[in-house]
Amino acid sequence: MPYVAIVDDEEPVRKALKRLLRASGLEAEAFASGREFLDASLLREPDCAVLDLHMPRMTGLQVLRALQAAHRILPIVVITAHDAPETREQCLAAGATAYLRKPLEEHELLDTITAALGARTR
Amino acid sequence: MDSLPASSASASAGLTPWGTRSGPVAGWAAPALAVAVGYYLAARVGFAFTLQPYPISTLWPPNALLLAALLLAPTRAWWWVLAAALPAHLLVELQSGVPVAMVLGWYATNCSEALLGAGLVRAFVAWPLRLDSLRSAGIFLFSGAFVAPIVSSFLDAALVSLVGWGERGYWDLVGTRIFSNTLAALTVAPLILTWAAIDVSRLRAARLVRYAEAAALFMGLLATCMLVFDLPQLDTHTAPALFYAPLPFLVWAALRFGPAGTTSAIAVMVVATIFGTVNGLGPFAGSTPQETALEMQLFLSAVAVPMLLLAVVLDERARVELDAREQRLQLTHLSRVAMLGELSGGIAHELNQPLTAILSNAQAAQHLVGNKSADPEILVEILRDIIAADQRAGEVIRRLRTLFKRGETQFQPLDANELVHEVLSIVHGDLVTRSVEVVPELAAALPKVQGDRVELEQVMLNLVMNACDAMAGLPPEQRRIRVRTRAVDVEGGAVQVSFGDCGPGFTPEQYAKLFEPFYTTKPRGLGLGLSISRAIIRAHHGRLWGSSTPGAGAAFHFVLPALRAKRG
Repeated sequence: MPYVAIVDDEEPVRKALKRLLRASGLEAEAFASGREFLDASLLREPDCAVLDLHMPRMTGLQVLRALQAAHRILPIVVITAHDAPETREQCLAAGATAYLRKPLEEHELLDTITAALGARTR
Repeated sequence: MDSLPASSASASAGLTPWGTRSGPVAGWAAPALAVAVGYYLAARVGFAFTLQPYPISTLWPPNALLLAALLLAPTRAWWWVLAAALPAHLLVELQSGVPVAMVLGWYATNCSEALLGAGLVRAFVAWPLRLDSLRSAGIFLFSGAFVAPIVSSFLDAALVSLVGWGERGYWDLVGTRIFSNTLAALTVAPLILTWAAIDVSRLRAARLVRYAEAAALFMGLLATCMLVFDLPQLDTHTAPALFYAPLPFLVWAALRFGPAGTTSAIAVMVVATIFGTVNGLGPFAGSTPQETALEMQLFLSAVAVPMLLLAVVLDERARVELDAREQRLQLTHLSRVAMLGELSGGIAHELNQPLTAILSNAQAAQHLVGNKSADPEILVEILRDIIAADQRAGEVIRRLRTLFKRGETQFQPLDANELVHEVLSIVHGDLVTRSVEVVPELAAALPKVQGDRVELEQVMLNLVMNACDAMAGLPPEQRRIRVRTRAVDVEGGAVQVSFGDCGPGFTPEQYAKLFEPFYTTKPRGLGLGLSISRAIIRAHHGRLWGSSTPGAGAAFHFVLPALRAKRG
């Protein structure tokens, strides 16, 4: 069963996403900050991560750059509740696989994760 | 203070009936009838106020009534006003056995006086005349109460001499008529004009205590006037001092009841004085009836003019203050709405978060139910989370609605820490999307402050957003706002709220301009935030200031006096 990590500082959001992914047949774990996720992913690397962009202390973009700096290649779906034109480009440039706006359409999210997982297995 | 019904000259509802209809005959019938009846009654009053046995009227109100009617009517309706007065004039004058030629002549001179006064006023003041500024009142007094009675009195006396009615000389006639008509123009016309300008709805809305105050004023005034002017004078030496006895009541009227209240009070005094004088009572006792009448008329005119002007000036000033307050409120609201516009990205974030939680929770539940793997306990938990997220979205909307609303300032006891929390929740989305971290250092126990919640939140919002803007050029991890509240140990107690940023700070030269309206260092922004914030804090009897070490950040602080705890 593919393992997906969810990184979002907002507890209600990460809880809801974890439920949705688990109900859709994925294994999912949630992390409250970028730092927590980076540390945990060293022990067990997820097959895909759903990463919130705007988080205090360490933003999603900084997580992407930290992964990039460590030469870790991981499919990342960036999600954001505040969409600015330049952030999409910045995220994709920093190695994000996809960029989705909140609130998340179920099909869009699951299709994107599936596509990301497929790209990894290939 | 509750509403002042009598000082509502600026209200729109007090328009004369002339102004409300444009129909030719039907619409003017009622005002025309009012003019006719009023003219007849005014003439009867004029006859009643005659010093016997020598027939000199001390106050001739019909011409003043015509003047007021013309000033209230649009110019195109003036013919109706004058025509309406004719039957009343004929009825009242023919009863007293005056020759027809003289009756018609007097009609002509009465009309000419009213027309001259109204024409002069209209040349300078647009219709409808309101005695609501020193300018309009001055023009009215000069034209209607001085020029018109004087000029028409020469005509009138010439006509009387020409017809050969009566035995009095030309100059005697001129003098008598000038003073009786001037006194009427000074008292009767403003009475009608100021009452016509009253907004009846405000009069109805006034509280009972206002009516009680008005009743006390008028009863006191009437009693004083009757004591001074309507009793036989025992000692004529005390008379000059007694003349001043009604003045406090007139000043009371001017201060508290506006122009209409003042003209009414003047009318009470005029009627009481004339009543006493024509009945041989009171302090006015000249060697001849003319002399008695003249003394009284000069006294009443000398009181009426300054009192009327005082009332008008006070009313004008109160209105200017009211307008300024309204403008301040509008500007404050405008700047608040502009600020909320800047926050819109963050607000979208704040709404999208709970919406995401709601949608994903609902879709998860759908899967669970569809797979028949639903544990009822999990479903209940999901529903509980959906409700919580929904409530959070509702709270965002509620906070916004409060800030968007434009209302009167409402002072209430407030907790500064609670306001800080509220403001931080409103800007939460912006802080997150701009990667600004807030470090709150809130004092555990703060005395309450007295203030308007929305306005104080507006000040805090402004300071937080300025701090965010100041740090836009810093790397995200350095963007930090320190929010501090503390009790200040001064006489009576005070509460200080500070917002410190890590931005570039400001120089003393920049600081000198920071609070000026329209000064801004931002590419977008009205430059009103700090000047309005300072005005708000001043209105709360507090102080707002900034401090900075250039290169090491800036801080803005405000202090509000603490609300004294009630001693039980």
